[in-house]
Formats: sequence, structure tokens, C-alpha cells
Amino acid sequence: MSKLALPFVSSLALVMTAGLAAAQVPAGYPADYAQTIDAAKKEGKVVVYGTTDAAAANFLVKDFEALYGIKVEYNDLNSTELYNRFIAEAAAGQGTADVTWSSAQDLQIKLVNDGYASAYKTPEAAKIPSWANYKDSAYGVTYEPVAIVYNKRLVPADDVPKTHADLLKLLQSKPDFYKGKVTAYDPERSGVGYLFFTQDDMAWKQAWDLFKAFGKTEIKLYTSAGAMIERTTSGEHLIGYGVFGSYALSRSKKDPNIGIVLPKDYTLIASRVAFLSNKAKNPNAGKLFLDYLLSKRGQTIIANQAELYSLRDDVEGEATVAKVKEQVGDAIRPIQINGDLAANLDTVKRLKFLKQWQAAMKGQ
Amino acid sequence: MPFALFRAAVLAIMASAVLAPIGLIVYQSFLDGPFFQPNVHFSLEAFQFVLEDDDFWEALVTSIIVAGGMTAIAVPLGVVLAFLMARTDVPGKSFLEPLILVPIFMSAVVLAFGYVVALGPVGIFSTLFKDVFGVVPWSIYSVTAITIIAGLTHVPHVYLYTSAALRNLGADLEEAARTTGASPWRVAVSVSLPMVTPAVLYAAVLIFFLGFELFGLPLVLGDPKGILVLATYLYKLTNKLGVPSYQLMAVVVVAIILIAIPLVYLQRLLLASSQKYVSVRGKAAKRSPLRLGGLRWPAFALIVLWFVVSVGIPVFGIALRSVVVTWGEGVKLAEVLTLAHYRDLVDYPNAINAIVNTILIGTVGGAISVGCYTLVALAMHRWRSGWTRVADYLVMIPRSMPGLVAGLAMLWLFLFIKPLTPLRATLVSVWVAYTVVWLAYGVRLVAGTMLQIGPELEEAGRSVGATRGRVARDVTVPLARTGMLAAWLLIFLIFVREYSTGIYLLGPGTEVIGSLMVSLWGTGAIDLVSALAVINVLIISVGLGLALRLGVRLHG
Repeated sequence: MSKLALPFVSSLALVMTAGLAAAQVPAGYPADYAQTIDAAKKEGKVVVYGTTDAAAANFLVKDFEALYGIKVEYNDLNSTELYNRFIAEAAAGQGTADVTWSSAQDLQIKLVNDGYASAYKTPEAAKIPSWANYKDSAYGVTYEPVAIVYNKRLVPADDVPKTHADLLKLLQSKPDFYKGKVTAYDPERSGVGYLFFTQDDMAWKQAWDLFKAFGKTEIKLYTSAGAMIERTTSGEHLIGYGVFGSYALSRSKKDPNIGIVLPKDYTLIASRVAFLSNKAKNPNAGKLFLDYLLSKRGQTIIANQAELYSLRDDVEGEATVAKVKEQVGDAIRPIQINGDLAANLDTVKRLKFLKQWQAAMKGQ
Repeated sequence: MPFALFRAAVLAIMASAVLAPIGLIVYQSFLDGPFFQPNVHFSLEAFQFVLEDDDFWEALVTSIIVAGGMTAIAVPLGVVLAFLMARTDVPGKSFLEPLILVPIFMSAVVLAFGYVVALGPVGIFSTLFKDVFGVVPWSIYSVTAITIIAGLTHVPHVYLYTSAALRNLGADLEEAARTTGASPWRVAVSVSLPMVTPAVLYAAVLIFFLGFELFGLPLVLGDPKGILVLATYLYKLTNKLGVPSYQLMAVVVVAIILIAIPLVYLQRLLLASSQKYVSVRGKAAKRSPLRLGGLRWPAFALIVLWFVVSVGIPVFGIALRSVVVTWGEGVKLAEVLTLAHYRDLVDYPNAINAIVNTILIGTVGGAISVGCYTLVALAMHRWRSGWTRVADYLVMIPRSMPGLVAGLAMLWLFLFIKPLTPLRATLVSVWVAYTVVWLAYGVRLVAGTMLQIGPELEEAGRSVGATRGRVARDVTVPLARTGMLAAWLLIFLIFVREYSTGIYLLGPGTEVIGSLMVSLWGTGAIDLVSALAVINVLIISVGLGLALRLGVRLHG
């Protein structure tokens, strides 16, 4: 190569890559984001541990890969597995997830507090609600109403509860009809169940009356949403309390027997929390993926294909903030993603709550 | 290589493979936090917590009841089934054989769910029964039901053990009894069965152990009433405290090991004079099946009855669930039929991949595992040394870890033992984990048939100048092939179903059907789980049928 050509070629290459990258920096992002994208492309892949099932996550994975040409290694784990695997791998220093994304909000906050996260202020921060941002480190990604499901065939139309208070009244007025026919997560055996019930306790002063009514009607408690929804649709149970609205929604599309109620007095909003690992081998690709999850493009897929409910106001579609507000107005009560969630894991507090719960299950 | 060196090497490798995970767990039980984190200290608090926890004792008692009960059901039924299939002219054998094995490879969660769809409070048969008689007299959500179902579905394990031994048995003894006028029943009880005692005993102890490890069945059937067994107690423990507490899980495993040790001791005691079970002598005798005469069809009916209850009903339940939109009280099934779940499955990411991986690890992985198990069995074979006692205990201990804990222990090994770390992201790590955990099941099956070989056959080889290794290769292994084949079959079926041991080692591209099912189950996609289960049953039944027909002959 001649002396003249060398600088020319290299500057051409520079212009070309800059041009390519610049074209890809999403609107509204800082210009130096192009460097993150370049670095991410060099890394070539991003490793994600998530609790969202592979089918739902796949819509996001495919779109992200199409957008950046960076491969996503998505590992579908349950929340306890995710926690176990992540802390062991971090301790061994052998490489672990670049991004973790879990529905166990409290465990995620604990991991951030225990120093496993890398602080990162996403360019999308202004577009997402403040309750979903924990110290610019962990972000809520979804907006999943905690719903009541019921069997449309077998629950009389007048019985269908519109609010938590309605449900309490129903169980008090027809205890025999609903004996053994109501189901919920078991707070003693399921982390999600524990989280939802403690949130009820904070949100509503009659929560314990409802729990006692559960006890009196011999509620059946499960460890998985699948078992609850399946047994509600079969008629073995009639009402399922405290189910992820996202699961209920996708199920109700296949099965017309499932009715969904978002309680009008208050509806808890759960969110799957994501953060970047500070042991990440692909930190830049991790940033891209996190930003993508929160971006309008990613959230549109969350709302319309993955059916996990988008938390951005500017996203349109079926599973969105607007649609939830249409049903319950201002009675939304997002579970705040903050330090209190980690306190939720305090053993003494838990054992105390569970003791009270056991008494309630005996109707006391 | 001198045989002594071979023995020492095999024992050393096995000991390290077993003691590494177990040692890690025992060590963990004496700490106050995860062993890999800074600032953990020696502590007995975990023992104190578990021993003072009422739930632990409740779970322990339930586990003992379930394990004991299921052993009491599975062993006699399995033995009778094996005798009928291996030794008699009961009709329909070639057709029944692959079907008998279905309960082994069905994931327990799916099997249990099949019972819910069929016999649950609003199950298909329950509602039919209710329409006619007004009430449903049974409940499947009870310790009794869990025990019975566990017992019935573990019959195939006993069947495999016993039939491998029976098929290795010379027919001369039975025929002698028959010619003196003994009834088939008498022959079975007084001649055949006593000769296969070691196999039956091994099977009994192993089934008892599986009882402690039982997870899927009590999870689904025990859920509504909160029935706890040890494996589901681990679940509850994690949640009660908010974060997974490894030391508490480790204590539970230590408790199970403490139960295991006297059991192995008892088994050794009962088998002290293994010499008397020698049944493969140096005399070839053509075997013809025992004629059952008038009992032929009743025997057939018995097999079919067992089959209907432990395979037919749950598989029917699952199959039905896989082709309907919804089910239960007040649903007209004809109106809700659909094939959509199967179509959805095709689109599911990695579903095809998972099916291929599962079959691969079952066939190829299973065969290599059996190779390892055979080496272990050979090394211990007729070794008059205290080391065999050590080996007997070693083999048994890995299965003391319930799947949840075994999975963790395996992850830790591949993370924290430096030479192993490069293997972590490959299927090899999954294979190693499976092979170690199911050690007892394969080794016992092979060793059991080796015990039946008359020592004079091996001594004959030695006296004409063959080395120990040569005798092993040309005499012992060929004569123990029924055991090896049965072991391969058992291990194949177990590996096909297994996933919890490998859960932390599986990643994108290495998923298996089991892990796919569990993640689908968690999100409530039970329709897809059902479709996947049906495909699983179909593939494996057809595969088994073909294999049995094409030459993997269990019939000697």
C-alpha cells in the first residue's frame, strides 16, 4: 500500500464506522452513545439471566439482535435459581450474567445493596416513572397489575368482586359456597406471595380481615401461578387472588373461561427489575440491552407481543399503563422499587408476619 | 495395568467424584453463610434452627411414611411384574414391555398433573363418577394418595432390577421345580425369587431413597393442603427466610445422609453371604417360559390393571389436556378441542433443540455412564477387602441430596474447583452431574447381575492363565450384559427426565425438555407443558419399542 493511500483508507474507515454508528444512536441519546455501541459490538454478545419465560422474552431477544447485531444469550431461570447462580458465579469470578432481570423485586434490590450492581444512569431515565428507578442502578421494566382471576362459567355474575372490599364481603356473605374455592399464592412458600400480601397489608387497613376470611373459607394456597390459574379455569377453584396480570392476560386470550378483575379500590403494580452486573464480561452490550428494554421500541414489544405490560406512558397497545388506568383510574399502587423492599427480606420481620398469617389462616 | 492398580484408581476417582459435592455440603452445614463469601464463620446455628423447626419434623415424618409406603407398594408389584414378563408366557409381552417403562421417564410434575386432570376434584373421571353416584369418594390431595401414586409409578424401577436378575438366572432350577409339580406361583415364590434377592433388596433400598427425594408429586398433589415432604420443605425454608439459606439446606442433606448410613448397613448385613445367590453356572440350558396355564389371562389382566392406573390414567389426563382449550366442571369437551398447543410448541424457542439434547444425553450420555458404572462394579467385584464396604456407602450417598441441593452442589464444584471450570458451559458438566447423582442406580444394577455369576467360571479363566483384566473382559462382562442393558435402559429413562441436578449448568443451546417444562409450568402455560409431555411420551415409547425389537434384547 502506498504512503498516500494509508491515511486515506483509514480515515475513510473511520468516517464509515462513525456514520454507521451515528445512524444507530437512538433519538434523544447523547452522541457519545456511539462509543458504547461500538464497544458493545466488539463484545459481540450479552448474557441475560431472566425469569421471564423464553417465549415471551424471545420477542425482545430477536428484535434486539436485529437492531444491533449483538447476540443475546438468554437464560430462563426461576427467581431463586437466578439468585443462587448469580451470587455463586460472581464469587467465583468466572463470569456471570451481564444483565439480570427478575420478578423477585426484593431479591434484586438486595443484590444491588450487597454491591453486585454497576450503577448506570440510562438515557431513558426521564421516560420512566421515578418509583421504577432505584439509585440509578436497578430499573423496573414492566407494569404488571396484580389481578384477581375468576371462573366465568361458575362464578355468578353478581358475585364477581370489583374491589378488595367486595371480595371480603363476598366471602363473609357466602362462606359455604366459596369454601375451598378460593386460591392464592402461599406467602410461606412463595416469595412473590409474601411480597404481594405484605403490600396489601400496607395498602389497605382491612387486609387482615380479608386474610382471616380466606382462612375461614379454607383458601387453597399454591406455589405457582400456573397451578392457580389452571385450577381456577377447571372449576376446582373459582377465584384466584393476587395473580400476575400478565399471565392472566395471555391465558385469557386462549381460554375464554378466565375472567380478570383489576380491583378498583387499589391495584398493586409489580415490575420485573433489571440491573447491570459489576462482574459483567460484556458491560457495554449489557448497557445496550438494559436501555433497549426501557426504550420505546422495547416497551412496545413488551406491551403488544410479550404481554408483560409496558411502564412507559408513551407506548400504545394492549398491555399498557393507559389500559390499566382505563380500568382502575388512579387507584394504581406500584410496588415502590426502593430500599424498603430489601427490608422485606429481614428474617425476623418475615417470621413475625408469617406467624400472624398462620393465625389468620385459622380464622383468628 | 495390574488389576490392583485399576481397582485403586477406580475407587479413588469414584471417591473424589462423590466426596467433593458431599464434602462441600457437609462443610456448608457448619457455616453461617454461603461458604464462598467473605466473613463466614463456623456455626451450629443451622442445625439448631432446623432441629427446632416444627415443619422439618413434620416433613421428615411425612417423607418416611411416603418412602416406606411406596417401597411397600412398588417392590412386591415390581417383582410380580418382572416375574410375569421375564419368566412366563403371559400374552402381549413385546407390546407391554416399552409401555411398562413409561412412568420412569415421565416428569413427576406432569404425571401428577395428569392425575389432577383425570381424578382431581373436577377431573374427567371424577365428574363422570359424580354424575352417576352423586359423590366423589376419593381425594388425590392426601399423603395416602401421594404414597399410592408414588408406589405405583416406581414399579418400573423394581421391575428393571428384578427382570435383569431373573433373565440372568439359569432356568434349570425353575424347570426342576415345575417337573415335580409345583405351580407357577410356587416356583416364583420358592425358587426364582429367593435367587434374585440381592437385586430386589437393592431395588427396595433405592426406592426408599427416591422416596426422600420425591419432589414433583408432592409439589402438585400436596400443594392444596400444604403437605410437606423433605424436598418441598427445602422450598419453604428458602422462602421463609427471604433469601436462600444454603447452610439450612445442607443440614437437611446431612439428616438424610444419617438416615442412609444405617440403611446401607442393613443391606450389607442381609447380603452378607452373597455366595448363595450364584445362579449363572457353567452349564448352558435352553430356557422356555413357564406355562401359566389357566392363570395366563388373569395375569395379563393384572398387568393391564396396573398399567391403566399408573400410566393410562395420568397419560390420558395429560393427552386430553393437550388438545383442549379448557376443562373441568361444566365444560363440554367436544366444544373445546384444539390442536393449537402443538402448533404453539413448534414456535417455542429451543423446543426442538431441547428434545434433541434430551435424547442425546439419554442415549449417548447414558451409555457412557453405564460404561463408568460397569468399571466401578468390576473393580469391586469379588474383592475381599474392607474397601468394598467404603464403596457401598460411597455409591449410595450422592442420592441423599435432593435435586435442588444436588444442582447447587454441582454448580459450586464446576465454579470453585479450578481444573473443572472450563467444562462448566458444556454438556459434559451436565453429564458428570447426572452420572454422579445416579451412581447407585446404575452400579447396583450391574453389580447385582455380576453377583449371580458362578466364581468357578472366572476361576476357570484364571486357571488357564488369563489375567484378571482378561477374565473381566471376556467372562464377567459378557455374562453380566443383561444387567448392563437394563442399566442403560434405566439410566436412559432417568436422564431423559432429569433436570434439577443440571439446572445451574444448563444454558442457551444446552436446554433439555425437563428444564423447558419447569419454566413453562411456572408461567402457567400448562397447555404447552401437556403438549410437550405427550410428544415426549410418544418419542420415547416409539424409540423404546424399536430398540427392544431391533436387538436391545432384555430377553437373554
